[in-house]
Amino acid sequence: MKRIHRKIEIDYLPRVEGETNIEIELGHAPAIRLKIFEPPRFFEGFLVGRRFDEVGDIVSRICGICPVSHMTTAIQAIEKAMGIEVSPQTVTLRKLMSISQIMASHLVHLYMLAMPDYYGCDGFPAMRRDVTRQTEDLLILKDVFNALTGLIGGRALHPVTHLPGGFTAVPSNEAVGQIATQLKQIRPNARRTAEEVAHLGMPDFHCDSEYVCLDTADEYAINGGRIVSTRGLNIAVEDYHAAFHESETEYAFAKKTTRQGASSIMSGAMARLNIKFAKLRQTTKDLAEALDFRPPSDNPFHNNIAQALEIVDGVEHCIELIESSRFEDEDIHIRINAGTAGAVTEAPRGLLYHWYEVDGKGIVQKANIVTPTSHNFSNIEKHLLKLVQENNDKSPPQIRLLCEELVRAYDPCFSCSVH
Amino acid sequence: MNEQPKIGVFKYSCCAGCEFQLIYFQKHVIDMFEKTQITYCRMLQSGGHPEGPFDVALIEGAITEQWQADQLNRVRAVSRYLIPIGSCAVCGGVPAIKNTTEEQEIEKRVYTDTSLVHSMKTGAINDYVKIDGAVKGCPMGVRDLSELVISLLLDKRPEFVNCSVCVECKLAANICVLVAYNEPCMGPVTNAGCGALCPGHHRACYGCWGPMEDANAWALAGQFRLMGLTNDDIHRKFTEFGQPTTQWKAGQIK
Repeated sequence: MKRIHRKIEIDYLPRVEGETNIEIELGHAPAIRLKIFEPPRFFEGFLVGRRFDEVGDIVSRICGICPVSHMTTAIQAIEKAMGIEVSPQTVTLRKLMSISQIMASHLVHLYMLAMPDYYGCDGFPAMRRDVTRQTEDLLILKDVFNALTGLIGGRALHPVTHLPGGFTAVPSNEAVGQIATQLKQIRPNARRTAEEVAHLGMPDFHCDSEYVCLDTADEYAINGGRIVSTRGLNIAVEDYHAAFHESETEYAFAKKTTRQGASSIMSGAMARLNIKFAKLRQTTKDLAEALDFRPPSDNPFHNNIAQALEIVDGVEHCIELIESSRFEDEDIHIRINAGTAGAVTEAPRGLLYHWYEVDGKGIVQKANIVTPTSHNFSNIEKHLLKLVQENNDKSPPQIRLLCEELVRAYDPCFSCSVH
Repeated sequence: MNEQPKIGVFKYSCCAGCEFQLIYFQKHVIDMFEKTQITYCRMLQSGGHPEGPFDVALIEGAITEQWQADQLNRVRAVSRYLIPIGSCAVCGGVPAIKNTTEEQEIEKRVYTDTSLVHSMKTGAINDYVKIDGAVKGCPMGVRDLSELVISLLLDKRPEFVNCSVCVECKLAANICVLVAYNEPCMGPVTNAGCGALCPGHHRACYGCWGPMEDANAWALAGQFRLMGLTNDDIHRKFTEFGQPTTQWKAGQIK
């Protein structure tokens, strides 16, 4: 049957963070445009002229789902620029805050944004009526992770205790210990989440990418390390600009970031698992094996399973960090120096880069922020195109749903991407 | 009210944190919303009816583009109550920091080609339409949100927190960081509701809940000057969460 030229327009994609349209041209020469219309707020513009110790509080407002990632990355960049050292306790508290936020973000993505598609629900309220047990698991897990972020940060969303140099207040060992007890209690819920996600029945779709993440020798890197890829990239954070290129597009307010030479990359949970699977705890690896999930994978839908396994591993990681630490009050020591520096962390959705130039009075002169969804932008379009090409014989509603599922599997954040 | 009240949620320029707070954050919020019908909320569910009508429209984010203002007017026309949620919607919040610099200059710092950018001066929701109250906070306060939904279900007027952070500090028996530690605290001019979170964690309030009604910004700015802050420092304090048309204007010297 001869097919006529068709176009699918997804107007304001639901159940993702932020605002985008997707334009899909079908027919002989399929084409994809991720038209991110989220309005720019110009963070890099108005950060100029602000003081170094306001930056963390301001940039946390880039994203309501990963505020800790923006805050931590910015503070680490500022510290490097100004030559501020922090204590080992600060490093541990940052790790706990980052991991607990990543877990909470993964949970929201998996249960509330991605999963409704697979249960034929339009959203979480319908799922809460129809699939009660799963939604209960979400609430139980999320409460504990939010409590941990909030205990360290003062509140889980836009924390207040975290400044260049360290934390203004440190949680009591008793309170942290109670969270460790709760973390042990939610192990079965975390495990069930991974089983649940692995059995959702995701499309059998393959498209290779260059996977990029942070890596260190001794642990599953979150807040620092070298930038490595499955195609041989292995650089220090200082060499970020030499390896990556950020460019503007005419149909989106988000910039596209690729490797120099314009090849696209994928970062996020699946990239992390593809590269650092060996650094997960043995119980997590055994669970992956039991679920028949063996990274590396080149199916972007598997980002969902990768996130679920990170939740299982994150529970253990937090317990270990808590049980091996004794927290005590510390003073914050800073000195104001001029300098420039960048920092990279693993945000829930992938690589997050912040770069600042600070003058001798501690005032920001220049800022650059590259978010996970900017890093993944080109690859999402590349994968969508291949998905459409392979499913060209399906009906437009079927193609539309597949495309929505694929974009959601990436867990994009369009508010972050534009900022 | 016999039928479940219909709620519409609209997002403009912001981090989506308030919507996140509303929908995903806390179990008791989710439970409370089971007594209502959320008929439009793009981040929560597919489909929905953006055309209304709504018993309550909850508006998140500041207005920075004309299409947002146009849609906001349409939402106002089909909503019994319209409530801004969170600092961006209530007072411009962090996105209004850009109002302190010339628009073109700000845009050029971010994009080399600014011809596709249609950004305006950042405005709060009540710069464009009549509002029926406000849920303040960054992110918005759960106490005021609960009060709003309960009031809607009982068909009563909501009572929002309407005093300065100082009141909450005294109730919490915190030592005053302004008087005792000489820290430039925005608590005296900032709306309460956070439970004096920053002073409770050994730092000065930075004003994220936005201006309190009848705030004496002029007096606090004078105090900051006596403490040795420069005019630039004071200007930054009064512009991080309060656009130049609010009660903090008197402190926004430069």
